[in-house]
Amino acid sequence: MKKSIILFALVGLVTVSFAQKKKTTTSATINFDATTSKDALPKAENKTVVAALNTKTGDVAFEAIIKNFSFTNPKIQEHFNGASWMDSDKFPKATFKGKITNLAAVNFKTDGTYSATVTGNLIMHGVTKPVTTTATVVVKGKAVTTTSNFTVALADYGVNGPAIGAGKVATEPKISVVAEFK
Amino acid sequence: MNMMASNRKMNPWIKRLLIGGLLLLLAGGGAVWYIFNEKFTDTSERKAAFTVNAIDLIHEFQQSDSLANKKYAEKIITVNGRISELEAADTTINVKMIDTLTDAYIIFAFQQQHLKEAKQLKEGDSVSIKGSCSGGAYSEILETEFITFKRCAVNK
Repeated sequence: MKKSIILFALVGLVTVSFAQKKKTTTSATINFDATTSKDALPKAENKTVVAALNTKTGDVAFEAIIKNFSFTNPKIQEHFNGASWMDSDKFPKATFKGKITNLAAVNFKTDGTYSATVTGNLIMHGVTKPVTTTATVVVKGKAVTTTSNFTVALADYGVNGPAIGAGKVATEPKISVVAEFK
Repeated sequence: MNMMASNRKMNPWIKRLLIGGLLLLLAGGGAVWYIFNEKFTDTSERKAAFTVNAIDLIHEFQQSDSLANKKYAEKIITVNGRISELEAADTTINVKMIDTLTDAYIIFAFQQQHLKEAKQLKEGDSVSIKGSCSGGAYSEILETEFITFKRCAVNK
């Protein structure tokens, strides 16, 4: 009986310890910039992105509701969510699941700025594609802030609207992701 | 001399057609200019399509997010509830209302001109927030339902 209690207590401790390695936020931000010389409007921000980082395994995940990308112009936002762009009624979320591949280069226990390489799968518009990018990881006390800038080729995800063909929307929009984990 | 003057005189129908065409062109150009230069109205000036209690809204999405999305997505909604959490989002603040039984939550991101009032809010405050509902989904990361709002304002 005594042994069982000790065993349960140990299992509990290990579970808590692993759970503490996973940090989450529900307010990561993604900036989307598809502006071109012909059109400065296709630019948006989503400030309610769910993100997770496991500092022990290096697992990284993001989830964004497409309709929460906020544009300044109502018509562009309507186009972005429409069938010829993101088709957000059919594909309401974009998700990323990956891993920091150079985890040894990031010391989550010591304050500092580190460069991480992140590899994973981005699911957008119902299409899954591998993505590899670099991220800046800033450790300050218990807070970890990650920033990553990369581009995505819309054609790879089956996004080929007429505005893209006409040069009004960049074929490879710039994506900037910032997540602050506490 | 008279013959030359009459030759230069334009057929009145052609003249009317040209003026009409020019006016149409101006109106069309104006409409296109307006559509692409239009900005979202200040949410505080918009009329809410629905006024709901936060926990009731969460339950509605949990029961069927496809039905709830059809009903609420891209509509201006007023949500009344208690602030469970304030979360920094880059340089701004998001407000969260959480159903403590299931951890499902609503999150509000604020319109630029309403950020100042959002920063004055405190956890535990009972508030009324109006914003554009972006719909809800099940989070595989958090294993719960989440509902997101954009361009919000605090109802005074």
